[in-house]
Amino acid sequence: MTHSKGPILALFYCQNTPESSEKERQALEEKYGKSLRLFPIPCSGRLDLLHFLRALEEFADAAYLITCPEGACRYFEGNRRAKKRVERTRLIIESIGLEKDRVGLVVRSREDRRPLAELAEEVVDLTSKLGPSSVHKKAA
Amino acid sequence: MITAEQKPIDEIREMIAPYKKLLVLGCGSCVAECAAGGEKETGALASILRMANKMEERDVLIEEKTLDRQCVRDFVIELDDIIGQYDAVVSLGCGAGVQAVADMFPEIPIIPALDTEFLGETREQGLWVENCLGCGDCMLYFFGGVCPLARCSKQLLNGPCGGSMDGKCEVNPDVPCAWQVIIDRLSSFGALERLEWVYPPKDWNKKQGKGPRKIIREDQQK
Repeated sequence: MTHSKGPILALFYCQNTPESSEKERQALEEKYGKSLRLFPIPCSGRLDLLHFLRALEEFADAAYLITCPEGACRYFEGNRRAKKRVERTRLIIESIGLEKDRVGLVVRSREDRRPLAELAEEVVDLTSKLGPSSVHKKAA
Repeated sequence: MITAEQKPIDEIREMIAPYKKLLVLGCGSCVAECAAGGEKETGALASILRMANKMEERDVLIEEKTLDRQCVRDFVIELDDIIGQYDAVVSLGCGAGVQAVADMFPEIPIIPALDTEFLGETREQGLWVENCLGCGDCMLYFFGGVCPLARCSKQLLNGPCGGSMDGKCEVNPDVPCAWQVIIDRLSSFGALERLEWVYPPKDWNKKQGKGPRKIIREDQQK
């Protein structure tokens, strides 16, 4: 896959995130172009560390996950599992010298009804400070 | 099942350092069940090794494959057509799997990516516990289905030792006292008299007395 000039964010998100329908996803992809790749998932508990690693290996400079609020998972404990997997992934990438903040989690409170667009912007701002990943430096 | 854990990445990287073409080889049986060496873990290890190499600008081919079982030659033979493409194999099989592959392909270095741990039970998701030593002379009948050799920290055959507190082992309070469990179990089906029997020291001859063990079943052979 061709690597774009700026940092690329792989953003996985629980489909229960407010205002995260296909229409909103398309609008975000139009806004950010190749620098944002969105992956809607039915439950954040579906996500495995392999998903983060593949994204980081193949195209992304950072891979983040937006879960539904703790205690509000439709499948009871999906977001709690996701949190542990994110932690494990951070440790693994750190073991090869990659900054652990290239993988992260956004957990909202129950009261936080911010839409996907707003949350995505927050993560894009956060991860753009990290710059390009050293995994892709040769391709950049 | 056989349980295992992945070795630290640094240790694996040190072992693979001399090689330029690697096959990361998973196993879809026991080590998949204990989330150490199945298809997902194989993919993750291959991914992280490829990333590490990219970061250091090392040109190394790392591919991945998962066999149904690494410890059964009928499955290992699947490698016959492809193994020649690699300098070495990184195996996420248990010790038996690693050795089966090594035995079948003596010219290819096999690097173990896992530390094989014990014969275990999946107690709950993400929790595996040791409860069998594979001694070759099962005594579970006498102990109500609880093995004191595997589960008592002191391996007492004539317990309890008297040191447990609130049903927990005095050696490790995180561990239930095996003898408390044995007594509870025997009581629950009215067989507590077995506690009165005296058990002689374990005869380890069946486990380690004659070197590596094997089982031969002629009725199962071709």
